[in-house]
Amino acid sequence: MQTKVTPSAAPPRTRLSIRAKVVLVSLVLAAIPFVGYGYVREMENVLRAAQEQRVIATARAVATALHDRPRLLEFSAEDDGSRRRPAARAATQEIELILTGLRRSSSRLFVIDQQRRLLALAGSLRQEPPAEPPDSGGAWNWVQSRLLRPLWALLLERPPEDFDDAIPEDLLSGGKEVDAALSGVPASRWRPTPDARAVVLGAAHPIWSGTEVIGAVVAEETTNSVLTLRNRVFEQLLTVTLAVFVLGAGTLLVFASRLSGRLRRLRDEAEQAIDARGRVQRGFRASGDSDEIGDLSRSFATAVDRLAEYNEYLERMADRLSHELRTPIAVVGSSLDNLRTRAIPADAQVYIARAEEGVRRLNAVLTRMSEATRLEQTLRATERERFDLGRVVSGCVAGYTAAFPQSRFELRLPERRIEVDGSPDLVAQLLDKLVDNARDFATPGEPIVVALDAEGAAARLSVSNAGPPLPEAMGDRLFESMVSVRGAAARADAPAKPRGEPHLGLGLFIVRLIAEFHGGAVRARNRDGGGGVTVEARLPLAGFAPAPQG
Amino acid sequence: MSRRIAIVEDDAAIRENVADTLRRQGYEVAAHADRPQALAALQGRLPDLAIVDIGLGADVDGGFTLVRELRALSAELPIIFLTARDSDFDLVAGLRLGADDYLTKDISMPHLLARIAALFRRTDVLRSPPKSEETLDRGLLRLDLKRMSALWRGQAVDLTLTEFWMVHALAKYPGHVKSRDQLMSDANLVVDDATITSHIKRIRRKFVAADAAFDAIDTVYGMGYRWVSG
Repeated sequence: MQTKVTPSAAPPRTRLSIRAKVVLVSLVLAAIPFVGYGYVREMENVLRAAQEQRVIATARAVATALHDRPRLLEFSAEDDGSRRRPAARAATQEIELILTGLRRSSSRLFVIDQQRRLLALAGSLRQEPPAEPPDSGGAWNWVQSRLLRPLWALLLERPPEDFDDAIPEDLLSGGKEVDAALSGVPASRWRPTPDARAVVLGAAHPIWSGTEVIGAVVAEETTNSVLTLRNRVFEQLLTVTLAVFVLGAGTLLVFASRLSGRLRRLRDEAEQAIDARGRVQRGFRASGDSDEIGDLSRSFATAVDRLAEYNEYLERMADRLSHELRTPIAVVGSSLDNLRTRAIPADAQVYIARAEEGVRRLNAVLTRMSEATRLEQTLRATERERFDLGRVVSGCVAGYTAAFPQSRFELRLPERRIEVDGSPDLVAQLLDKLVDNARDFATPGEPIVVALDAEGAAARLSVSNAGPPLPEAMGDRLFESMVSVRGAAARADAPAKPRGEPHLGLGLFIVRLIAEFHGGAVRARNRDGGGGVTVEARLPLAGFAPAPQG
Repeated sequence: MSRRIAIVEDDAAIRENVADTLRRQGYEVAAHADRPQALAALQGRLPDLAIVDIGLGADVDGGFTLVRELRALSAELPIIFLTARDSDFDLVAGLRLGADDYLTKDISMPHLLARIAALFRRTDVLRSPPKSEETLDRGLLRLDLKRMSALWRGQAVDLTLTEFWMVHALAKYPGHVKSRDQLMSDANLVVDDATITSHIKRIRRKFVAADAAFDAIDTVYGMGYRWVSG
């Protein structure tokens, strides 16, 4: 029962290398900034709440300071603009003193009375830009200032310092916190500046006098400080994230590169270990690594070794078969010989003749079967010499012309001398086989063209005949042992080949062996126009041959 | 007195066929199936010629061993070995061990008889003093057709019968090209072209051993070989 070997699946259309996959996986690290972002947002909310509390506390403190001092407010309200009474001036100054004492550097305080008249104002919403830390120099600072800061500037909005900090009219008249404070309830609110460039947090606290609200204190701050703090945290977060990502992805990438490099090397070795015909070309070097890739490599080496053993076993089979069969054939042959010496009736002689013919054919088959193995043995022992390829070819063609008068031969030689390292006898054998083949398929009357020339570092020896073309699907398989095109293309009027000569397709296989022995190759193709077939052997010129092969 | 031929072959059918052929020809035949049996019998009485099969039963190289032992018993005993294998390696090994010639098992009986007759003729001539010589001289080569031996520059070149016949076929008509087919029939061989090539190579090597400047055998590619007397 045959085991069907699954044909290799076609590679998927979109191919993702391991490195690409690892980079995708490392995008998991990209979750870090999102987590950090959420955390910073939380922090921002906390800071805002803290700021709110602080501003409310400021308003309360100021209101408490002005508590129960109705006259301060009264007096400062009586401002008729033309002249100020000293007492009113003094009251105003006192309020201002209080405010100044209690203000924060980033907040603005103002006091209004029940009539919503602005009585005093202190502080400013704008804050000084935070002092830049002294440039301590060094590569990190350079990286920070040149690369990172501009990057963050793109990503994060910086709170502007130039916003319109005027107190909007509708604040005093209808601001919710002011209304609430003047009715006795402290309140706070965020509002945008009139030009909408910043957000102001305002807290209003009523000023009590007894049980009566005589005014309100409003403390205002922009959220810019919180934003600035948030941005700084963000910057740090992003820097760290970027660093972690780059480091992490980088490490993973390096690791993945190493892995995929090892796997690629394994793949290349595997592809080279077994050639297109399934023969084991060279030993597979098993890696010594002690991980899964090393295991894979070792398994592959074992598989290749087993394949090589099996191949050898199969190749020996033909040889062994022929060896095994010779004895029984010899028995039949010698028995027939002995039979001939006895008196045989004439009508029985024909059977002996047929039997003898059968034995002869069997012997021919066996000889051909073992021819390839014997050739391989011979090749291993053959010495190489430098010889004139043109002389060998012309000698051979002269021989063919004499030996096969019913075929026409055409010889094309170059003017220059073509020298090859190898065995002239083997090359003659190669040419014999090619011409034999050509003769069997050639259209009678058309010449068989034997051409030799040199191109680059190789000599090209070709035998071309007019006749039926090669089937498309043959390709390289033509040069395998036991492949035959004969059945399909045999013609009734083919030139004389002794009837009954078995064909095993070994001729071209031997041609290939000899070509490879010389460091070259052979291929067959249809003639342009489809009128015939050309078989071409390329042999490296003397001095160009690669290292000798088995 | 008829000559005694000993045949050592493990396959009963071949052994009996060959024995029948030889007996019909008038030889006395002692047939043995394995090495110990053969050695025991031959030690008692040496035959006039021994035919030995290489692979004897389970002993793959039993034939080689036997040839060596027989050679030790007698230096002049003509030994032919039979082989189903046709690898060069076995050939060379067998000949080096001292066999006089080799034959493949698929040889026809008439050919076998011709070979044996020729071998006997050669040994007879070697034993008896030379009465009349029949030699072929071609330059530095002298072929003694009775003894079936070759001399190059007066030095003896040890050729097997097959090789002698090939050299004779070439040297008889110097300058004429002999095709492989012709050489095959001259040597009573039925092998393929590559074996002829290796025979020629071996002949060349033997001559070159005697004379490094030997180049009398010229390869004419595509046609065959020819003897060039220089």
